Amino acid sequence: MIEVKHVLDVLKKTKKAIETNNTFELKNLSNQTIHSSSIQQDSDNISIAVTIYALGKIFERVNFRSLKGWDNFYSITIKSLNNSISALEKNNIEEFRNHFQFIAKAINKISGKLKDYITQVFEKARINKASRIYEHGISLGKTAELLGVNLYDLSTYAGNTGISEVPLTKTMNAKSRIKLTEDFFK
Amino acid sequence: MTEKAIIFDAGTLISLSMTGLLNLLIDLKKSFSGKFLITKEVKKEVIDNPLNIQRFELEALQVQRLLNNKIIELPESLGISEKEITTKAEELMNIANSTFSQGTEFIHLIDMGETSCIALSKILRDKKIENLIAVDERTLRLLCEKPENLKELFKKKLHTKINYKKENLIYFKEFKIIRSCELIYLAYKKGFTELKGRNSLNAYVNALKFKGCSISREEIDEITKLG
Repeated sequence: MIEVKHVLDVLKKTKKAIETNNTFELKNLSNQTIHSSSIQQDSDNISIAVTIYALGKIFERVNFRSLKGWDNFYSITIKSLNNSISALEKNNIEEFRNHFQFIAKAINKISGKLKDYITQVFEKARINKASRIYEHGISLGKTAELLGVNLYDLSTYAGNTGISEVPLTKTMNAKSRIKLTEDFFK
Repeated sequence: MTEKAIIFDAGTLISLSMTGLLNLLIDLKKSFSGKFLITKEVKKEVIDNPLNIQRFELEALQVQRLLNNKIIELPESLGISEKEITTKAEELMNIANSTFSQGTEFIHLIDMGETSCIALSKILRDKKIENLIAVDERTLRLLCEKPENLKELFKKKLHTKINYKKENLIYFKEFKIIRSCELIYLAYKKGFTELKGRNSLNAYVNALKFKGCSISREEIDEITKLG
């Protein structure tokens, strides 16, 4: 279940960040929903985190704006955000859900290169957010399941982050685990 | 009578296949008087699902070949049914996923693939079959070996107080866990790897790290020194 007040604040800031072209703020806003995504693991929080992160990536690519379909994508995004905000102000979660999901579905309203690029950005955003949830302590399999990404993608992505460098991750010294393995093969 | 087994989680097979080191399992199997096992859930994650994804079809086919050639086998080869594993896995997953909480919300930690590995391990142990679980991801390892670190990790990352039911942790003790990097270390020591020398051992383990094996640079240095 989403925290309406918090999500409302995030969406208003998201709209403002898009209008002022502040992509750094979009990334920050996406991260703000990761904690709740890790604990509650509900599709709304995850969808918000993924979509805002993807928007940050899309809006930072200035070259996308000259591609066919951009104006349509931009207006759908702003309209969906406005409608999502209005729905939340009325505390209508179902209506919010329908309007918010429309941003990701806007991909189907465009064609050509922009469609391909935006589809890829959303796919990568899902993997990035999955990796962040894994970083928060949820297992790799569970996060892959939650975000609908495959384990091959997620393992590779997570392997290239600093997640395994966190000291708390170490549970046994290398020598002892090697000995355990060697002894088992004797 | 098989008295030993290594149970592979999906991540370990993924790290090995993505680094091109999967075939070392063939040599390791020859030097091992037991079975290499995967559960139905893990098969789904490393073979069945990726077979439909062009980017990972090759890796899936390579793992499938190991299964076809009986290098890795399903638990049925030891007379253990899918149903038995699923029942035990559901029980353990429910316990694991109701162990840590923030306020009134339980944190769902692990999925069926990972839990099926510990369920199989428990079933084998009850049958007096010694076993290790090869797991490259960190959460299951933390839950089994240092749950207090998992609690600290949640606390640190979620910036909130975390509660945990200590009485649940007994279910996850005594599982013995290794990773793909220890298997490759062993393959290197036994002379199975194509490249020789400490530099190559370091490179092999680094490659595994970049494909998802949860190992720190400090641990890699330790392993390289041992090699």
